[in-house]
Amino acid sequence: MSARDVVIVEGVRTPFAKSGTKLAKVHPAELGKAALKELINKTNLDVNLVDEVIIGNTGNPVDAVNISRVVALNAGFPIQTSAYTVHRNCASALESISQGYEKIKSGTMDVIVAGGTENMSQMPVLLPQKFQDLFGKLFAAKGPGQALPLLWQLLKYDLKQIKALLTANQRDDFFPIIAVMKGLTDPFVGINMGQTAEILAKEWGLSRETQDRFALRSHQLAAKAMKEGLHKDEVSPLQLAPKYEETLMDDNGPRDNQSMEALAKLKPFFDKKTGSITPGNACPITDGAAMLLMMSREKAQGLGYKPLAKIRGYGFAGCEPERMGLGPVYSTPVALKRSGLTMKDIGLVELNEAFAAQVLACQKAFDSDEFAKNKLGLSGKVGEIRDDQLNVNGGAIAIGHPVGATGTRLVTTLAKEMKRRNVQFGLATLCIGGGQGGAMILEAEG
Amino acid sequence: MSMKDSIRIVPQGEFAIVEFDMVGEKVNKFSTPMMMRLKEVVAELRGSSYKAAIFVSKKPKIYIAGADIEEIKHLNTPEAVNAAVTGGQSVMNEVEDLPMITIAAVNGACAGGGCEFIMACDYRIASEDGSTRIGLPETKLGIIPGFGGCVRMPRIMGLQASLDVILNGKLLNAKKAEKTGLIDLAVHPSILMEQALKMAKEKMGKKRRKTFKPVGLPNKLLEGIAKGVVFSQARKTVLKMTHGHYPAPLKAIEVIKKTYGMSDRSRALEIERQGFVECALTDISKNLIHVFYLTEMVKKQTGVSSASVKAKDVKHLGILGAGTMGGGIAYVAADKGIDVRMKDINYDAIGKGLKHARDLWMKLVKKKVINSYEFQQKMDRVTGTVDFSGFGLMDVVVEAIVEDMEIKKKVIAQTAGQMRPDAIIATNTSSLSVTEMQAAHPRPEYFAGMHFFNPVHKMPLVEVIRGEKTGDEAIATIFELSKKMGKMPVVVKDGPGFLVNRLLLPYMAEAAFLMQEGMDIQKVDTAYVKEFGMPMGPFALMDEVGLDVCMKVLKIFKKAFGDRIEIAPIMEKLEKSGRLGKKNGKGFYKYDEKGYRGEVDGSVYGDLGLGSPTNPHSNQECIERGVFAMVNECSRALLEDHIVDTPNEVDLAMIMGTGFPPFRGGLLKYADSVGTKYIAEQLEKYAAKGAKRLAPAPQLRSHPKFYAT
Repeated sequence: MSARDVVIVEGVRTPFAKSGTKLAKVHPAELGKAALKELINKTNLDVNLVDEVIIGNTGNPVDAVNISRVVALNAGFPIQTSAYTVHRNCASALESISQGYEKIKSGTMDVIVAGGTENMSQMPVLLPQKFQDLFGKLFAAKGPGQALPLLWQLLKYDLKQIKALLTANQRDDFFPIIAVMKGLTDPFVGINMGQTAEILAKEWGLSRETQDRFALRSHQLAAKAMKEGLHKDEVSPLQLAPKYEETLMDDNGPRDNQSMEALAKLKPFFDKKTGSITPGNACPITDGAAMLLMMSREKAQGLGYKPLAKIRGYGFAGCEPERMGLGPVYSTPVALKRSGLTMKDIGLVELNEAFAAQVLACQKAFDSDEFAKNKLGLSGKVGEIRDDQLNVNGGAIAIGHPVGATGTRLVTTLAKEMKRRNVQFGLATLCIGGGQGGAMILEAEG
Repeated sequence: MSMKDSIRIVPQGEFAIVEFDMVGEKVNKFSTPMMMRLKEVVAELRGSSYKAAIFVSKKPKIYIAGADIEEIKHLNTPEAVNAAVTGGQSVMNEVEDLPMITIAAVNGACAGGGCEFIMACDYRIASEDGSTRIGLPETKLGIIPGFGGCVRMPRIMGLQASLDVILNGKLLNAKKAEKTGLIDLAVHPSILMEQALKMAKEKMGKKRRKTFKPVGLPNKLLEGIAKGVVFSQARKTVLKMTHGHYPAPLKAIEVIKKTYGMSDRSRALEIERQGFVECALTDISKNLIHVFYLTEMVKKQTGVSSASVKAKDVKHLGILGAGTMGGGIAYVAADKGIDVRMKDINYDAIGKGLKHARDLWMKLVKKKVINSYEFQQKMDRVTGTVDFSGFGLMDVVVEAIVEDMEIKKKVIAQTAGQMRPDAIIATNTSSLSVTEMQAAHPRPEYFAGMHFFNPVHKMPLVEVIRGEKTGDEAIATIFELSKKMGKMPVVVKDGPGFLVNRLLLPYMAEAAFLMQEGMDIQKVDTAYVKEFGMPMGPFALMDEVGLDVCMKVLKIFKKAFGDRIEIAPIMEKLEKSGRLGKKNGKGFYKYDEKGYRGEVDGSVYGDLGLGSPTNPHSNQECIERGVFAMVNECSRALLEDHIVDTPNEVDLAMIMGTGFPPFRGGLLKYADSVGTKYIAEQLEKYAAKGAKRLAPAPQLRSHPKFYAT
């Protein structure tokens, strides 16, 4: 089969909400369903035409392990529609689009829904291994003679856990495991994502003020985009069960009134003495879902759709886990090469804002011949990303980063802004926990 | 093909497989020829050396549907009834007395006589297929089980469980039947035969008469010494629910009380037989059978006369307006698997619709009718929007917005522009002209009325309204959609109030006059409920509908019908008093915070400038003036304006839309039973006392009966 052009028809997402707020009680499958149903309605899509549903998710809820299938069925897809879940940490949703791209390009499929969903509020608190061993024995116990001593032991464990909780000693073997914290810790080098950003801040000489200024910019641009109604194209309000008295109309992260003074008041979180990364210049933990409809161009035209953009190419690449924030600098040249383009062709960039320091470090590395030579094995720099090209409607610092869903948001936001600005090529890229980068290049359509 | 093929013995080794497969019918039923054939088969088995007989059905989804209702309808003398029941009872006895073990292997509906047959077998096994429904619905038709059901079921299931089935006319699924002990085993449909054969091998030689063994002291008492408590409680419950209008459940209690634990089978069956004869010949039974036929009639209808017109399958339903009606419609549609999208002007409004539907399902979750997964599936089918996104997918859109012609017209034109050209818009208006509204639709043949009754989830009726330009396909589609939503559709012609409201309005208006003339609200309502059998009286009904709505519609009717509609002065005052009825908790009655109706609000008399009630009229007059006003208007609607084609539709609509007492067979069955001549005379009399509006219509005088005999 011949290679075919792959287009993005439409993208829709739920509002993104900071963890523990409005969406805390909404199951990630429910979030995914809400976004997918609105995508179907917005495009008047006959779901029978969809070959596959691919959804990114990192929190992997225990009651919906293949969450993609749950989302698809809940959204009203027929039982015969294939659905699976992908996991590439922060780039899970970009991975879902990449896989959809390959399947359509090859001619294997015509219509794919790719998306992501995440509820970071609902990531569980787990019992330590000691408890699990004890439970194993308890379930196997025969008669009270065996069970009673084990129950006594359980009681002692419980008391030790209460002690660990009271002393807030997370290193204590009895302290419960908080999945979201564990997930944000690199399993190879054992440092937290925030600490990887601290490394970049120090190595690339990024002052606290520079970082805060970037965070402020993110809020200002996001708030402006919301005010100008740009989100109406992209965000579908979510009515909150069980009473439905409240509707979350838009993201609740962006602050219209954010200020340098307010940001300056926050204390460094990951390196309390010499650090500069604060909750103010990092993205918040977030809940939300985003879905995107992609097709072969022939199929889209046949069905009368006017696509947003064409996918020109994509690339993933590995980097040092402790400097995972530089991932975009590694993956972008791969995507550019596959697309037959250079950075000069790129008019707009969506670079995920995990941390202000990480974005600023990327910006510098993109523009550095030395970095390109030493780390990427290239003869010269990847290419400059100008401020006026970068995250022009704000980024994750303001909007939030529901890990498994962000890739879809970046690509959707980029496609819509390219159309508004009449830009020929755009780049969506993000860093990936564990030391990788992902990048996708879009081309204007029609 | 002869009757012989209807029940066949297929030998399988030392077992006889007996196959029910009624010739020329889709279902198996115990008609007279079928019973005669069964008698022959039983005789053959009796003389054979088979070790077991396994009774199965070859019909899909039907085991034995029951006795032939058509035959019951035509039994007109006590002798005929007695002979028919004696015959049935003796065949069941012969089954019970067969020398080999008998096993009923049930797959599909097994009701009435069918259930009585399997209870005459030694063992019962049933498939867990959704079509398997086992029980005794006789009391719903005004009769009692007569082929030994009243005797055998309490023996097999115990008193409490069997009374629940018999008095409520319940049908149990296989799991429930297994749990209550009605059957011995519920199995996956694929292994029904395999398990029946296994059972035959295991139980060979073990004839039995299953007797219920209560578990636990309280049950032992209630099924034994203290059974009197069970009977008196059952009687009380029946009386509370029926106000004594339905004698069959009471007769069943009486028969079971006399026969429970009786060792003399023929005496017990004789008592049952007498009870059956007494019930079967009552008008109430004939009326309930009439109502049963009306509902069966709808199942077969398509809403249009032409067989070539096909209804479109509706997968996506749009609803404009997420108010009480919109939310209710969303609930019934999504409940039956239809994808629903509600549009309203803001999310607060949609939220109310979503909550309405959610709360109704949550009640079912609490009652364990559905589980949490089923709940989620249903809820997931409902979405809301403030724009027209998704309307390109809609097969039908139901409009349930404010009752204002100009606004409706605007919205219909706008909506039609967002839909596929072959999709249909239906209005849920209760009082506006469908024909006039239709003019706003660019393709009026795709526009119809779909009038639901409040509360939507409870009232089964849907009036499918044909505007002047409505096409057959639209009618057929809305008709079929109504059925898919579990409703009873009746096609009506466009006209003020269509059918049901046109009849109800004069009835409610008359109640206002009764009050004006000094009647007590409670007294009138109680008379309608307890004496006539209405689910609620006219004042309670007006509160439900909304007093502002009543007034608004009355004015529309006054314009349309002139002198036939008079508005009592108190209604005019009511309009200004701020009493809206249930919706603002202030009407003829008081309401608590949850909206439950309390007692009459005593201050309403004073507010309307009336003194204390003097009750100048008899209950009979109160009832006759209201009910005969409906009959009078109906004679015009049916015979002059042809709003519907036959009295059947009137009766079905009144029962399903207003709760008109089913035991009366419907408004026109009732009118026929008292005679139109009497009705006309009474109306004349009331009209002469100053109520000109009640003057009998010419059609009433010219028709001695509504139903052709």
